Amino acid sequence: MRRILAQTRKELTQIVRDWRTLTLALVLPMILLVLNGSAISLTVTDLPIIAQDFDDSPASREFLDAFRASITFHIVSFPTDKKPEEAFTSNIAHAAIIIPVHFGRDMARGNNSPVQLMVDASDANTARLVVGYAGQITRAYNQRLAAARPAPVQTAVRLWYNPGRSSKKFYGPGIFVLGISMFPPLLASLAMAKEGEQKTILQVYVSNVPASEFLLGKILAFVAVALAQCLLGLLLLFTYFELGLAGDPTPFIVATVLYAFCVASFGTMIGAAIPSQAAAMQAVALGGFLLVFLFSGLLFPVENIPAGLRWLSLFVWGRYYIEIVRDALLQGGGWPAVWYKVLIIGVIGAVFYALAWLSMRRMQLRE
Amino acid sequence: MNNSGMTQNSPLPTLHSPISRIRSLMRKEFNQIRRDRRLAFSLIIPPTLQLLLFGFALSANVTNLRLGVVDDSKTPESRELIAALAESKSFRLAGYYFSVNELAEAINRNDLDAGLVIPYDFARDLYRGRPTTAQVLLNAMNANTAAISQGYIEGVIQSYNRTFLREAIHLDFRLIAAPDVARRGQAMLRPALLYNPGLVDSWFIVTGVFGLLLILNSSLVASGAMVKEREAGTIEQLLMSPASASEIIIAKITPLFFLLCLMALLAIGIMKLGFRVPFHGSMALVLCGAALCVLAGISIGTVIATLSKSAQQALLTSFFVNPPLATLSGAFNPVEAMPRWLQPLTVINPIHHFATIARASMLKGSGLADLWPNFLGLLIITLALFALSMWRFRKQLS
Repeated sequence: MRRILAQTRKELTQIVRDWRTLTLALVLPMILLVLNGSAISLTVTDLPIIAQDFDDSPASREFLDAFRASITFHIVSFPTDKKPEEAFTSNIAHAAIIIPVHFGRDMARGNNSPVQLMVDASDANTARLVVGYAGQITRAYNQRLAAARPAPVQTAVRLWYNPGRSSKKFYGPGIFVLGISMFPPLLASLAMAKEGEQKTILQVYVSNVPASEFLLGKILAFVAVALAQCLLGLLLLFTYFELGLAGDPTPFIVATVLYAFCVASFGTMIGAAIPSQAAAMQAVALGGFLLVFLFSGLLFPVENIPAGLRWLSLFVWGRYYIEIVRDALLQGGGWPAVWYKVLIIGVIGAVFYALAWLSMRRMQLRE
Repeated sequence: MNNSGMTQNSPLPTLHSPISRIRSLMRKEFNQIRRDRRLAFSLIIPPTLQLLLFGFALSANVTNLRLGVVDDSKTPESRELIAALAESKSFRLAGYYFSVNELAEAINRNDLDAGLVIPYDFARDLYRGRPTTAQVLLNAMNANTAAISQGYIEGVIQSYNRTFLREAIHLDFRLIAAPDVARRGQAMLRPALLYNPGLVDSWFIVTGVFGLLLILNSSLVASGAMVKEREAGTIEQLLMSPASASEIIIAKITPLFFLLCLMALLAIGIMKLGFRVPFHGSMALVLCGAALCVLAGISIGTVIATLSKSAQQALLTSFFVNPPLATLSGAFNPVEAMPRWLQPLTVINPIHHFATIARASMLKGSGLADLWPNFLGLLIITLALFALSMWRFRKQLS
């Protein structure tokens, strides 16, 4: 035990001495959390659209006012004699509403009048949102006009867990997990690869420290780094991201400790297997960043990944932790919802530790 | 006599002209690159992998949301409504529940994404001509999915209403609820999706990631190449040579620039073959933008290299530069969706300008007349970064 702790202390001292590693461990993740957590959002507000009103009647103006009043769109002026496509190619607007002549007359006569909505679909997701929002605004407009005749089936939509549909609350926890999945293993792999690169590992081989204790000491140091980062991150999530604990926090606490162990072991394993700092760093960037960023459901649901690639996400440790963090901060499902995810994180962490131990053990002298 | 003849024939005097000095330095660089198999590897594998993974894995499509139903009405009308929702490709029926509490628990356990509650007097109210309410519960954790699926649900129910009103059997409802005298017409929204009628998500992602990978890989390769000389200690030898600092840096950059432009061509090929991204605009425009992007990336890499003593430090330093550059680029999400205070920052981001150029030109066929502000922005940023890198490099040498 004393040997393990001595190793941990040596590691932590080394981290604190280099300003680069210290900022990487604690400052940069926080900057990225705020930056990414607020910048990554898919739901647009204040989207510029153009309106071409060929009718110019009170009815058509009232219809456009309904769009003007929404926070999703803002109408920019565009001459009616130009084709709306020109607004799209020059990126002035993302959609165009075209109201035909006789719109007001048709409406007053009781005929339905078509209104064209042209959407720049080069961004498919925004196009989907625009069509949905424009439909809602049109329905509300029609409903208001025909107040005497409500639609037979009304919908009452209840948005659970995130009633304001705030992107920040969804992506904040995801970026938080991404930071923990990236920086502690990066530092761990660097520290481990450095021993290999500078051959200081040979001193360990000839010493009486067994591989398991040496690794555990190293891993503990980076567990401490991960937990420190986690605490700082939680502070941001609770203040800037306006999140709170939704339910029983014990699965989250257990999972956090296990996840810190998991990522620290991952970094140590990479460093033990690849004794070159630059190459180890790239391996961690691939595993810690790319896999967690793409295959954990951070941005989009995992179900959207084509089936040929989706199985990869089963092995991505970050995926389970993201689900646990979101459950703890938004959904509040507690142990019944997440118990097996906590277990899987523990298992993956143990596998990383075992692999690191295997690649070390071969080198060590037998007594 | 003989001696001076020798000097005239030897290659040394020609080195006095800057062109030949650059040429011989460049030959050295080319030879180094040719021998470096890792470099060729890092120019092909990462960009291919990035494009394919990002393009295939990132999709905001909303399909197959698991819908749970509490049907207290149990009538043909309620079943019709359920079928209308389950038939749309956004939802799939995941099960029936007996009470709202059970449904709520299932949503809480993450077994369901959405729930539909139909009241027991649903059909009765319909026939009496009274509006009735179906409740929809959505897991709105993911704001984007929630917004899109809410639009879908309301659209489905609206079309259910329309067929319900049209059907002759339900004449009573029409008579009671819609006295034709007071009837006003409705505005019918006809959406038309331009440029991407199939709503392929990958086209948006891939054209954004294109710019990202140009900057990312250019800066990594350049910083690696620049710092190598310093790490190996051969930079002093270069300094002792008659070449000036700017000659050294030009000779270093040119071969890299050509190689990275080849990488850009490779990426365009993958976009065209792998993702079938249409090319409506001029190819020359995109290539010009890509070349500027590569130059900007090389400049960033050079600046990073001057701040670091080893390849490892250079890589670490790039962690401070690249992630914010990627997030604030609009490569993955529209700039309009970012918070107000972050939007102005995209103006100084080369990836943002290039993503705009690539998207508008490839997908929409925009020309220089539309895109000159972004081109100008990209040009200014690139020149500024290049000047900065020259200044840093010189300062380091002197």
